Amino acid sequence: MDVNQPKQEHLLALKVMRLTKPTLFTNIPVTCEERDLPGDLFNNLMREDPSTVKGAEILMLGEMLTLPQNFGNIFLGETFSSYISVHNDSTQTVKDIQVKADLQTSSQRLNLSASSAVVSELKPDSCIDDVIHHEVKEIGTHILVCAVSYTTQTGEKMYFRKFFKFQVLKPLDVKTKFYNAESDLSSVTDEVFLEAQIQNITTSPMFMEKVSLEPSIMYNVSELNSVVKSGEGLSTFGSKTYLQPLDTRQYLYCLKPKPEFAEKAGVIKGVTVIGKLDIVWKTNLGERGRLQTSQLQRMAPGYGDVRLSLETIPDTVSLEEPFDITCKITNCSERTMDLILEMCNTSSIHWCGVSGRQLGKLHPSSSLFLTLSLLSSVQGLQSVSGLRLTDTFLKRTYEYDDIAQVCVVSSTIQVAS
Amino acid sequence: MLGEMENPDTSPENEPTSSNNAAESEATTIVGLPQTDPSEEQEEILLQDETIDLDADNFESEENVTLSEDSGNLLDKLNEQMMESVLISDSPNISEDDGGDVGCLQDIVDEIDSSETLGLDRITAKEYNEQVDNTNGTEHDISPDDSGAETLTMTNDFMQQQDLPLVEESVELQGEHKEELVTPSSKSSPPDETIPVCTIFSHSNSQQSFLIHDGFESQMVKSPSFGTEMRNAVKAQTQVVQPSPSLSNFFSDNGTTNSSAADFFDSFTTSSTFISVSNPNAAPGAPEHGSAPITPETTQDPVGFFVANKSLDPSASSASVEVPQSPKPFSQIHSVFAGSDDPFATALNMSEMDRRNDAWLPSEETRNILLSVATQQYNPVFIDKEKLTMPGLKFDNIQGDAVRELMLRFLGEQAAMKRQVLTANSVEQTFLGLKQLLNSKNWRAAVDLSGRLLNAHGQGYGKSGQPTNHTTDSLQLWFLRLSLLVKLGLFQNAEMEFEPFKNLDQPDLYYEYYPHVYPGRRGSMVPFSMRILHAELRQYLGCPQESLDRLHSMKTICIKILDNLEKGFAEDGSMITMTNSNRQASVQLWRSRLGRVMYSMANCLLMMKDYVLAVDAYHTVIKYYPEQEPQLLSGIGRIFLQIGDIKTAEKYFQDVEKVIQNLVNKDESHNKIIVLMNRAFLHLGQNNFSEAHKFFTEVLTLDPTNTVANNNAAVCLLYLGKLKDSLRHLEGLVQQDPKHYLHESVLFNLTTMYELESSRSMQKKQALLEAVAVKEGDSFNTQCLKLL
Repeated sequence: MDVNQPKQEHLLALKVMRLTKPTLFTNIPVTCEERDLPGDLFNNLMREDPSTVKGAEILMLGEMLTLPQNFGNIFLGETFSSYISVHNDSTQTVKDIQVKADLQTSSQRLNLSASSAVVSELKPDSCIDDVIHHEVKEIGTHILVCAVSYTTQTGEKMYFRKFFKFQVLKPLDVKTKFYNAESDLSSVTDEVFLEAQIQNITTSPMFMEKVSLEPSIMYNVSELNSVVKSGEGLSTFGSKTYLQPLDTRQYLYCLKPKPEFAEKAGVIKGVTVIGKLDIVWKTNLGERGRLQTSQLQRMAPGYGDVRLSLETIPDTVSLEEPFDITCKITNCSERTMDLILEMCNTSSIHWCGVSGRQLGKLHPSSSLFLTLSLLSSVQGLQSVSGLRLTDTFLKRTYEYDDIAQVCVVSSTIQVAS
Repeated sequence: MLGEMENPDTSPENEPTSSNNAAESEATTIVGLPQTDPSEEQEEILLQDETIDLDADNFESEENVTLSEDSGNLLDKLNEQMMESVLISDSPNISEDDGGDVGCLQDIVDEIDSSETLGLDRITAKEYNEQVDNTNGTEHDISPDDSGAETLTMTNDFMQQQDLPLVEESVELQGEHKEELVTPSSKSSPPDETIPVCTIFSHSNSQQSFLIHDGFESQMVKSPSFGTEMRNAVKAQTQVVQPSPSLSNFFSDNGTTNSSAADFFDSFTTSSTFISVSNPNAAPGAPEHGSAPITPETTQDPVGFFVANKSLDPSASSASVEVPQSPKPFSQIHSVFAGSDDPFATALNMSEMDRRNDAWLPSEETRNILLSVATQQYNPVFIDKEKLTMPGLKFDNIQGDAVRELMLRFLGEQAAMKRQVLTANSVEQTFLGLKQLLNSKNWRAAVDLSGRLLNAHGQGYGKSGQPTNHTTDSLQLWFLRLSLLVKLGLFQNAEMEFEPFKNLDQPDLYYEYYPHVYPGRRGSMVPFSMRILHAELRQYLGCPQESLDRLHSMKTICIKILDNLEKGFAEDGSMITMTNSNRQASVQLWRSRLGRVMYSMANCLLMMKDYVLAVDAYHTVIKYYPEQEPQLLSGIGRIFLQIGDIKTAEKYFQDVEKVIQNLVNKDESHNKIIVLMNRAFLHLGQNNFSEAHKFFTEVLTLDPTNTVANNNAAVCLLYLGKLKDSLRHLEGLVQQDPKHYLHESVLFNLTTMYELESSRSMQKKQALLEAVAVKEGDSFNTQCLKLL
């Protein structure tokens, strides 16, 4: 290709400008007092300056709109708007003009032109305008391809294209965590709590208009992000309605299986679909963005073959004084088990009673209750650990550590209090 | 703006082929265009890869001590590259349909492919994919309405794959702590698993997440270049604060205009007569004419204090005895700026006003020095040189007329000759001349002239660090000069010259320090506005926190002074008798000063983007300036619009309407305009440009000359796709009323539209330059013309 070849002048010029929202002009207030050397001059100058707010000239944020000064960043879920102008720079009238704007992403090509109609003629110094909008649904390189074809007065068919490349970035970082509520005796899985951490990874503040969880068919959801106070729902985030760059916010949702699924819930194992998060935000002057996560999946809590849960435990106990806990042992497997309980002391927890006692046969889906006595030799928050269940049929040992925590205080303190 | 949007390689200048004949150009364009493009792209990608790798390595080695580093890094690197290639190459459309049109992208892909020395990567990549499909995906893509999720999920799987080696490790570690009651949501993917993903993409976050195994799953959408892009963007933003024009421009300006200025400076260095404006004994009126030989006082201290490391100068101490009259230049200012009829009444009034206005509370240390000065009037007091204020010009000739330079460059010498602006030489070398320059918006020239006057005062270029005397007018000159520098956006220069003033609390900045020159006068020589300026300056240099600190200490002093007044003392806490009306006036003054400090704080918080505190601060300002309530509430509404919180903005705009309803003058047009403007802005926030345009036009029916409404209406037209209408509107305004519309924001919009309109924007911009040349002074910010 010969670069030095004199390039042919086109009669039409194509210009493209991204239309992000305009910004408000800010001025730099410099004031003085009457007795100062400039007298009222500074204040007069500020009053005459059209960009100041009349009557409140010191207010930095003015009312004057200024057009976007650079391409800026574009984020997934936002709307890409662009002005496309084809201007006749020549002195002759041009015929049969067609302007086509396509957006090439890494996976597809979209036509963005409002109309692909052919304009029959364009007089000198006039232009064809188009404003295109596109909600960005992909991340990465996008190329706006603008093609212009027209016919000169001599009947020559002309054609040219221009490419405008931009990168679409990710606006948010979303992390989720599930918590399983260990509620009552009967159900194995009942409520599920979802904590979603949403971080603003753009460079501008972001107003979170909506962050909601659209539950899957199995669940009902209640949002735990506001506190009802005297009939009014107050956001748990307080008066700060926006996220600064790199700020993270935690949203909490409570999911309950619908009754028709709740019965089966006890049987549900493995992966279940919880739902998806729907996030709507706004930035400068109401520039809107919206994203959804893909389906959030949750692993139903696996309890293994034998589940050990606590029924009762004191919250505070005295140092070196025995206390009781009640355990519930449930056979979650499909077979009958013959269990032996071993109790291993840790550095702080000492079990009372005989270790290695037979618990007898336990049939599938049945449970037994067990009261155990133990004491702690160390003060402070102590973790109850060291229970071992061995199934003699399969010679398999299940370990249960950190079952619960108790606060151990010196007995003298407790007496005093 | 257009330039940034366009890929440099696709802009008309560098697009050598696309303009060929229709049929052929299709083919050539495809080959031709990306030829330079992909290589650049390639570099970019590689570069980014490198940085990403580095980061990953860092984290890797920190975290996984047990893991063999080699294998980890290698795997990382492989995956990194694969992600890159997969993202682009796996997209179905590219390789299949309209091969021609996708030329550009495809070439990029090709380049990337060829650059990969490991041809196996992609095959392994696919294998990974298949494996990973079985592992349960706890990471999720963000994808609007799920479209396009296909390809993205694949890349996510990769990242999981990448983590696999870690999984075993972390499972072992976790074994001990496994909880029974609250189990992690999925056993196969323990919390640690996602960490490396974070390390690639979001830094600050990742740091935390591997310190605390919080069990959060990262919901990823992958964008290979993301990490670096972000950092760049952040960097770019921090640079924004820098003032635009560089000093060198002014120093290098050795043009014709300087000759007389040089004379001016030469004259005093060679002269042997010592006349000084700052020295009260000096003959007044010396600096009447620029060409007259003016000399500064010597560096001696005429009042007769010792600077600790200087020996006593007998001539200086003798001078101090004869010092009695009141300083002439001070009265000079007032004869120019205030104008007084009855000298006696004025004098009485003056002392009352002096006390009220100059009151300030020095720090403990400064107060002690001032006390010792007061008690040992005729004995020298030893004062450490450190404690003195020794300002001097840091650059001696800033003068330049950017408009004229642009004219020289674009319109030729002939046109540039026509440019007539006032310079420091063409006006009287007094405060009167300064005022003239200010009025004609020749602030650069005014800076020059203030420099000359300071020079005559012995605080000229290079005098910084040399002991000097301060007077009311020398400080007023400094205030004026520094204000102008700030107004011109020359923040760095202002900062340099402000530096010797330290925190404006040195003893020699108080009247008490000069008992002979200002007998009986007390308080601060530094004008209150200069303190405000001093505090605000830091925020323009990127240190808003320091601005806040300074403003807070000002606030404390204002409150203390108001407290003193309330208790029946004078401003500074001394016992004097004050008439009720004087006390009232004083309270009023100090309340409004306190309000001014609050205003600055609010502005500063706004600059810091701490919107919650800024809004609170503006609410406080309303208490001090209740008459500005509608404007301030509207301003708060606009802040919320800026954040994107349209609902709260609407609430504030409604409050404004309520406030205005209750005003006596609610039907006056300026109040109606506020309401209409707010409605227009609200529609703007709701993306309804046509409604916004309607309301801006409605403002114009009330006030056809409203610059803001005219400009904003034109901006709305552009967003509605009516470029020509918008241009016609703005152009007409600039022609009809250049006084109001040759404002940088309007001109910026206009030139942006010129650029969008046609390839001949240059001529049109130059026409604007000519209009500016006729109307505007040397302080005009030429950047908005976008000629360079």
